[in-house]
Amino acid sequence: MKKRLITLMSLTCVSGLLSAQEHNTTPPSYKKKVLETIELDFLGSYYDQKGKHSAVNGGMGTEELDNYAGNMILSIPVRLDGVLSFDVGFSAYTSASSSNINPFMSRQITQVNATGASTGATSVESTKTLQYGSPWYASTGPSRKDVLYNLGANYSHSSDDRNTILTVHAAVAREFDYESIGVGVGVTKLFNEKNTEVGIKANAYFDTWKPFYPTELDEYHTYGTNFQNAGYFANVEIYDQNGNISTKYLPDRFVAFDDYKRNSYAVSLFATQIVTEKMQFAVFADVLYQKGLLSTPYHRIYFADKPAYYIGTPNYIPLYNSPQNTEVYRLADDIERLPDTRFKLPIGMRLNYYINNWLTLRSYYRFYTDDWELRSHTISLELPVKISERITLFPLYRFYTQSKTKYFAPFGQHTTKQKYYTSDYDLSAFDSHQYGGGLVYNNPFSKAAIGGFTLKNFEIRYNYYDRNDGLSANIVSVGLKFVQ
Amino acid sequence: MGCLILLLPSCQTVKEYEKQYINDPDMVLSAHTCERYETNFQVYREGASGANGGKTGGGCGCN
Repeated sequence: MKKRLITLMSLTCVSGLLSAQEHNTTPPSYKKKVLETIELDFLGSYYDQKGKHSAVNGGMGTEELDNYAGNMILSIPVRLDGVLSFDVGFSAYTSASSSNINPFMSRQITQVNATGASTGATSVESTKTLQYGSPWYASTGPSRKDVLYNLGANYSHSSDDRNTILTVHAAVAREFDYESIGVGVGVTKLFNEKNTEVGIKANAYFDTWKPFYPTELDEYHTYGTNFQNAGYFANVEIYDQNGNISTKYLPDRFVAFDDYKRNSYAVSLFATQIVTEKMQFAVFADVLYQKGLLSTPYHRIYFADKPAYYIGTPNYIPLYNSPQNTEVYRLADDIERLPDTRFKLPIGMRLNYYINNWLTLRSYYRFYTDDWELRSHTISLELPVKISERITLFPLYRFYTQSKTKYFAPFGQHTTKQKYYTSDYDLSAFDSHQYGGGLVYNNPFSKAAIGGFTLKNFEIRYNYYDRNDGLSANIVSVGLKFVQ
Repeated sequence: MGCLILLLPSCQTVKEYEKQYINDPDMVLSAHTCERYETNFQVYREGASGANGGKTGGGCGCN
């Protein structure tokens, strides 16, 4: 598969270069620059979500998350035919869910022990350290926050007649437990008086995990069967389902991963067509293949055919499935196990129609299927309304529905007889609705300059996302485009 | 997809001087620049991805 993709990418490159060469033989007397001036985009977003099916806690518990992201994109004209662009950005999150990779916190408690019962009433106070946690609340562990940094570079070259465009790009991204390197090439051909456009892109991403496991499993991995007498678990009391102290907890199903790589290969085909003076559409089809570590190493699994064990205050065990549980955490049996390959096939279509001088319809549909038996449909509609020459308001709605992957089951419903399992609700069956809108300000003739750059475009968007499994989210995005 | 590409040239040809509506910024067939953040969270929170002209892979999306 890898060899075929590399061959395809090479052929794509060569065909693009040959085509560009062919057109170079008859240069027109005048060529307009592909990009007239340097452009600078500043983008930013804030995202927050809440939910009750955290995969880190085995499909239960808080999914509260905040994320700030920002990007700066610099596009530079290269002679008449080229555009070189750089995209640098960050994404910083605080997540209650991932904080619970290590859910255990501690506090001092005072115990009163009665002594000397035969001689008179005396009591002795002593203090001890209570270890506790809850899937419904964030812990104070270092994994509660992280920052992703990304850097990308893209170059596109257009032929003299502007009917052939060759692109190459490379990108790197890094966060505490994950690194990604991406490369890609693409060729676009325009013909039929630029009414028709077809293109092919090939991308490859080479990712590496630095896996972190749930604390209790990591301790078992480090110390073996003696883990309850060493490391974190030394002097920590473990309780069974009835609240009795027990030493029988043994997550012997857990084995650490030995391959930390995840490679993704994608070939994307697209075609666009102007249908009438007021209508055009595009069709996209991707073929995606992933290989390597596709499981998330800190997503817990609790088996239905294994007894339950807890750390914390045993009085809270009967309340475990409710947010009233503030003091007890169930110890994992294993982590999510998913196949090491995944083949995805999404096909999408956009259709835009210019209804009149103040109203446009933008629509999108996608069908998706993969070999994990997840199927989905996506529909989105956007209605830009020009309220003035420079300002456009747009309401939008998006509906998404998916079936569950065959490896999914809710909290505590998998069994040890299964080979693959996950309780990640992102892979469950659900419907989601996204409502939102935004405002775009365009001023192509603006003269007001700051530091040699002029604001040409401003956009702000807001969306509310509602998933019928209880997850909801808000996202605000802002973009400003400056030109030199 | 292949059949569709073969059928595309059979559509009416719109001349450059007739493209004032097609060239309107709201008629662009790609996603808005700002939309990348929405696409990102959808890729994380949903099992499906791709076929939108955007990013097709990379990243863990695990939070």
